[in-house]
Amino acid sequence: MKLDTPRIRRIIAEHNLHMCLECGKCSSCCPRFISGKQYSPRMLAQKLIAAQPEDRAYIETSVWDCLTCGQCQERCPSGVQFVQMILDMRSELAATQGLMGYRTHDGALHSWMRIMTSPEIRQNRTQWIGPELKVKRHGLQAFFVGCAPYFDVFFAGLGVQTLSIAKDGIRLLNRLGIEPVILSEERCCGHDLLWSGDRENFETLCRLNYQEFKAAGVEEVIVSCPECYSVLSQFLPRVVEGCDLKVTLLIDLVNRAAAAGALEFAPRQGVVTYQDPCRLGRQAGCLAPPRELLERIPGLELKEMADHGLGALCCGNNAFINCDSYSKRHQVQRLKQAHATGAGLMVTACPKCMIHLTCAMKDPRQEGSLAIEVRDLASLLADHIR
Amino acid sequence: MAAINLLGIACNWSPFACYNAAGQAAMELPPGFRLMRVMCIGRINQALILRAFEYGADGVILLECFDEDCRYGPGPEVGHTNVARVRRLLHFLGIGQERLLEKAFAANEKEALVRALWEFAEQIEELGPNPAKPRQEREAS
Repeated sequence: MKLDTPRIRRIIAEHNLHMCLECGKCSSCCPRFISGKQYSPRMLAQKLIAAQPEDRAYIETSVWDCLTCGQCQERCPSGVQFVQMILDMRSELAATQGLMGYRTHDGALHSWMRIMTSPEIRQNRTQWIGPELKVKRHGLQAFFVGCAPYFDVFFAGLGVQTLSIAKDGIRLLNRLGIEPVILSEERCCGHDLLWSGDRENFETLCRLNYQEFKAAGVEEVIVSCPECYSVLSQFLPRVVEGCDLKVTLLIDLVNRAAAAGALEFAPRQGVVTYQDPCRLGRQAGCLAPPRELLERIPGLELKEMADHGLGALCCGNNAFINCDSYSKRHQVQRLKQAHATGAGLMVTACPKCMIHLTCAMKDPRQEGSLAIEVRDLASLLADHIR
Repeated sequence: MAAINLLGIACNWSPFACYNAAGQAAMELPPGFRLMRVMCIGRINQALILRAFEYGADGVILLECFDEDCRYGPGPEVGHTNVARVRRLLHFLGIGQERLLEKAFAANEKEALVRALWEFAEQIEELGPNPAKPRQEREAS
């Protein structure tokens, strides 16, 4: 493989890599670098620009090592779009060389996502919807469930219940008088295929989902998962020509309703802390709504972790690739930060944060010292609907 | 009817001894059956079973030892857990949980093993092809 192909040169130029000052702010805040991994965004940028043949192995590894959390991009004074560059490089390396990074869980999640690209499958994915939840098959507003039913089975050993996020999301919507459409043939949003470089299957999933939305008459999709939100709002319109879907974040919707007085919450005593998901905080800029919502529960005190908001630490994994001991090291650091706040509950807004951080808590060598209850914001709110 | 694709995943010990004995006795196996040998069925995780279906298998059968015969300890139990979970995933995906089976054999049960394979092949033939076959295979058939 040659490194200075016109396509790679274009990726470098498009994402401002030539503007790099070599100041090193990116590496000094990179969670991978801080936890001791031989990975540095600054060095990767330099090596990509220099395109020396001996750097090939370094580049090919580093492109997959990134967590795509966006801390570096946040601090970069030159506006280098590092995360987008990583995404494009992964697509390029996957397409030209078949690289796909080391897939955690042997790629099981990527497997079921690829299985979903088959137009012929008839899924049984809505059996968890009981009579207490009001949903429709056809209508203007849909709720996107995502991979929750699958996660709960696959990660049964962890004891996470991501499906409850979907149920609680629907409960919140029902309380606001919205009876959402739930698609029986909804596919995975494809986030993990996109971020592991599998562009072809990702685009197939986008098209299939769009067809399903249109067939059900949907004009607005309400999403609770930040990764699904990022894909449906940013990437799907680039894949599907003439896409006219309105994508709304569940917590934005709930927060607006609560601000307008349409929703009140029952009190709960205690201290909580909030884990900002990367796709929600840094990438979608949604930092205030979750905090405002937590404040709307009377008696609840929010204590921030040492790193929060735009500087929040990632949960340690991206697209289920390259989970390693360095991921674990910085997950442990994150959980220690959570404990340091004195909170009894860690609230997050992304099922992946919940899965990865719960997994880190189960480390037998930590002897349960990191355990802390983790709940999704939607679930916490739904439990306190008045 | 298009030929079916069956994958057997066999533990090296009792089931593979049966398979070997069946081969020496020249017993006929279902067409389209392929075998993958592993040292213990505990090596197989959810991902490897799912990937067989992703790559176009119409049915997967795990051939394992009885729980108490395992050379390593918890092998077959790991198999039970994984099969139970993947069957649920296959149900969600609309592939159908009947396409994944596990069967235990003692080392001297070659007839039982061959019979189980034929029964499984018939069952899968009735179900027809896996609806999640890769695009390339769908286009070729």
